[in-house]
Amino acid sequence: MPSFRMMQNADLIARPSGAPRLELADLCKSYEEGGRTHTVLDGASLQIAPGERVAILGPSGSGKSTLLNLICGIDLPDSGSVTIGDVDLTRLSEVERTRFRRRHIGFVFQFFNLLPTLTVFENLLLPLELQGSLGAQDAERARRLLERVGLLDRSNAFPDRLSGGEQQRVALARALVHEPDLVLADEPTGNLDENMATQVAELLADLVRGERGTLVVVTHSRVLASRMDRVFRLDHGRIVEDAR
Amino acid sequence: MRLLTKSSLRHLLHHRMQLVLSVVGVALGVAVVLSIDLATGSARTAFQISAETVSGRATHQISSQVGPIDERLVARLRNEVGLRASAPVVEGFASSALLPGQALRILGIDPFSEGSFRPFVVAGPSARDVGSFMTTPGGVVLSAVTAARAGVAPGDSLPVLVAGRSWSLPVVGTVEPADELTRAGLTDVLLMDISGAQDVLGLAGVLTRIDLIVPEGADSLQLLGRIRALLSPGETIVEAGTRTATMAGMIDAFDVNLTALSLLALIFGMFLIYNAMTFSVVQRRTLLGRLRALGVTRGEILRVILAEAAWIGGVGSAIGLAVGVLLGRGLVRFVTRTINDLYFAVSVERIEIEPALLVKAAALGLGATLLAALPAALEAASSEPRLALLRSVREAKSRRMIPRAAAVGVASIGAGTLLVFLPSRSLGLGFMALFFVVGGLALLTPAGALLGMHLSRPVLGRVAGSLGLIASRGLMRSLSRTAPAIAALSVAVSVTVGLGVMIQSFRGTLAEWLDATLSADVYVSLPGPTASRASGTLPPELIASFVAHPDIVGHSTYRGIDIVDGVGVYRLVALALDPRGEETFDFIEGDAASIMRAFQGAEGALVSEPFAFRRRLEVGDRVAVPTPAGAQDLTVLGVFYDYGSDQGAVIVSRALYNRFFDDSGVTSLALFVRPGADSEAIVQELLTMVPAGTTVVARTNDVLRTASLEVFDRTFEVTAVLRMLAFIVAFVGVLSALMALELERARELGVMRAWGLEPAELRRLVLTQTGLMGLVSGALAVPMGLALSAVMIFVINKRSFGWTLDMQVGPGVVAEALGLALVAALLAGVYPAWRMSRTSPAVALRGE
Repeated sequence: MPSFRMMQNADLIARPSGAPRLELADLCKSYEEGGRTHTVLDGASLQIAPGERVAILGPSGSGKSTLLNLICGIDLPDSGSVTIGDVDLTRLSEVERTRFRRRHIGFVFQFFNLLPTLTVFENLLLPLELQGSLGAQDAERARRLLERVGLLDRSNAFPDRLSGGEQQRVALARALVHEPDLVLADEPTGNLDENMATQVAELLADLVRGERGTLVVVTHSRVLASRMDRVFRLDHGRIVEDAR
Repeated sequence: MRLLTKSSLRHLLHHRMQLVLSVVGVALGVAVVLSIDLATGSARTAFQISAETVSGRATHQISSQVGPIDERLVARLRNEVGLRASAPVVEGFASSALLPGQALRILGIDPFSEGSFRPFVVAGPSARDVGSFMTTPGGVVLSAVTAARAGVAPGDSLPVLVAGRSWSLPVVGTVEPADELTRAGLTDVLLMDISGAQDVLGLAGVLTRIDLIVPEGADSLQLLGRIRALLSPGETIVEAGTRTATMAGMIDAFDVNLTALSLLALIFGMFLIYNAMTFSVVQRRTLLGRLRALGVTRGEILRVILAEAAWIGGVGSAIGLAVGVLLGRGLVRFVTRTINDLYFAVSVERIEIEPALLVKAAALGLGATLLAALPAALEAASSEPRLALLRSVREAKSRRMIPRAAAVGVASIGAGTLLVFLPSRSLGLGFMALFFVVGGLALLTPAGALLGMHLSRPVLGRVAGSLGLIASRGLMRSLSRTAPAIAALSVAVSVTVGLGVMIQSFRGTLAEWLDATLSADVYVSLPGPTASRASGTLPPELIASFVAHPDIVGHSTYRGIDIVDGVGVYRLVALALDPRGEETFDFIEGDAASIMRAFQGAEGALVSEPFAFRRRLEVGDRVAVPTPAGAQDLTVLGVFYDYGSDQGAVIVSRALYNRFFDDSGVTSLALFVRPGADSEAIVQELLTMVPAGTTVVARTNDVLRTASLEVFDRTFEVTAVLRMLAFIVAFVGVLSALMALELERARELGVMRAWGLEPAELRRLVLTQTGLMGLVSGALAVPMGLALSAVMIFVINKRSFGWTLDMQVGPGVVAEALGLALVAALLAGVYPAWRMSRTSPAVALRGE
């Protein structure tokens, strides 16, 4: 049964020796808009080594968010494949992709997307709770990460009482709390002022390096991109390496 | 169109489901209120039109409280008082196999005395008809509509059954009045010559009443005085319509109870609007903030939100009016049947759509919508600083409100309880007490819900794991949204439970009472115009042959006459009681044996509980009973429980009755059979003794018991329909609240989906949340429902009808409440769960 085999594959990389290799091969994605087909990705390909940190640049509407959605399996390409480690996400069922995402991927969103009804600390615990019951070491890890982003004293505050920069720092901690192999960030500094953007960019790069994960950031900020190992550009639906 | 209005309309159209549910809520509320108004109003109007039509232009009527009037009084009025405008009338009820289910009113008149009394008599039958009317014995004229319905034409015969005797009456003509009202009033009338009617009704030489036209003027009082001087004891002269009004007043309490029940649907509708408008404002917090920043004034925002509510209320009310008319047509059948079963014979041909009722229902709908939307509109208009709009601040505020709401709730329940114990008989105060108790309990629900969720957390964790905990925490953290929905569901279920317990208690009490009361084995009476009403008197020779049956070892006879007096209508009963039946009565107080000794010794009267309640009588008081020998002050020997009629009954021994009444009639007969004999077989044997052309109803006590409970069940059909409608409105309210709640969390659920929550897990999460809300609501609804039923049983019912009922709570109540609430909440969660699990997290994350 293919799905069973896929789950076996998913479990195989459940304990990877290090961050997985990410390979995007010939991705195509288009949307129907008012009877017209709008092509967003047109044969996009990319290979990222384990532990590498890359930025993908592109103006608004160039398909950056679509690309991230395909990488994490929220959306499926019209054609092409997304392979993380040994697992081709496009061949997994919806449930298998969800479970894979739950275990292996961490997210940082442009608009933070913290849950307004949970405190800062509870927001951090949520990804862990989704994986099963919470233990004492989980709470400890959450506290450690909050300390690293400098917000331990705001543990019991609700997200809407924090500034934008503070909320994004919580979002960074939340993205890493379950020790994901791959961290995806969608315009993580797009909603912050220059000073705060710099701080968050540094923190993101340091944290992911510290956790030995692979990081893919989509952004139109050259400042943020400059902190990554490699920089790519989305150009008419294809990914090309940026000359810097 | 102004852009502000355009923006508001677009918002409504973007949230179509919420809009539709709100409109449905108002429409149902308005429809239920209107339909009840139409149904009871039409029954009242039909009764009054019918009575007024047959009274014609009479200004006064002479009738007797204690039986028929001697027909010679007409001649004395003409000769001694000089009153020419006097018309003798004989009236009674009949039924016909050709017009099933319709009580027919036989109206016997003297065509020569009619003059201008009843224009339809003059305008109706042609001279030839009047001639044949007079010359054809038993000739009958009926309305063209009724004749067509019965399939008879002049020259045919109409078979009728009057007090158990079959007659075949020649149809001599039909009338077709030009005006609608008279036509409606005549649908149940069989017009006969007075002597023919006297024959058929068994009223030889006597009249039911005399209609008079007393000219207005200075000497009218003097004239009335002279007429009064001619009257015998028990006879009265009253303005035409007084008796009808008293009779119609019998259904007042019934009407008030139905109206209160129908208003409940509207209140649930208000809950719905309140929820929908609050959500609508919450959803637009940012938009409203931007509008304020652009310079839109508070007043303009207030107007926009209220205009939205007015639009919803207007459309909902308009739909509600249309649905209400349709619903009214359906309900009028139930209402009429109950009125026929319990109060008086009436046949409702159509519902009277009075513009005033439409305006009232629409105004209620619109007013209730605006009132329910007001808090949301005020909130939208208040330009609070950003801090106050923060979700966490709102939730903290809600949480702080919980103890305060609970305190107000306790105070409200206290006020309600105080009202309950006030020494008052006011039904209005009773409903106010009910309102305070329901309101208080609703205010306690957030605290109850929080407690319930705290208590359920450990269990939930074990049963549903992390998802269960996430679900429970989500609910506790969004009390500003969940508490109103839980309160609405709790109140809706509690009302259903409360009504259920009330009906169950009533039925249980009635069943026990029937067991105790129906101590004889076989009951015999004549069939009445409707299935549940006896009429006429049993032929004495038939009684003699029945009691002579070798298996009959004893019998009681019962003679009942309806008495209308200044207070209302009641039944005076003469009872010749077999010693075997002495334990029939269950007295509220006093020693039954000594009361029955005094009763058999003709020392006074027994009165039913509703009679004592209505007239504030206690044992030892005296009650004035009109008799042909003048009003008699009888001592109240005992007050007995009686669930047969809410109008009340006065029972005297036959010996006492015979002292004042020249009447040997027997309305019904109770027979005791030899121990071991088969009652059913005896009934069959008794029926073979009945002569041809006569019909009697003979039933074993089991059959009569079943028939009585069937009447009870029919009476509560309308309550059951209303209970269901109110619940549907509440369900729509909860559905809308829960849907809005879950859809509002689209982004939050999208984040969870992105984090790896599977679609099935998301469905489970949403359903766990709504299911948990259902369970908590159900658990809270049980004590609420019991409190409500207690107020309904001991206050509302007592003050409406004067009955003491045993509160009987079956084991199914808890299961019913939990089941109803859980199913309603789960159903309400299905759509959001399905929709959210199908929505791509990418879309949910993108937000608006």
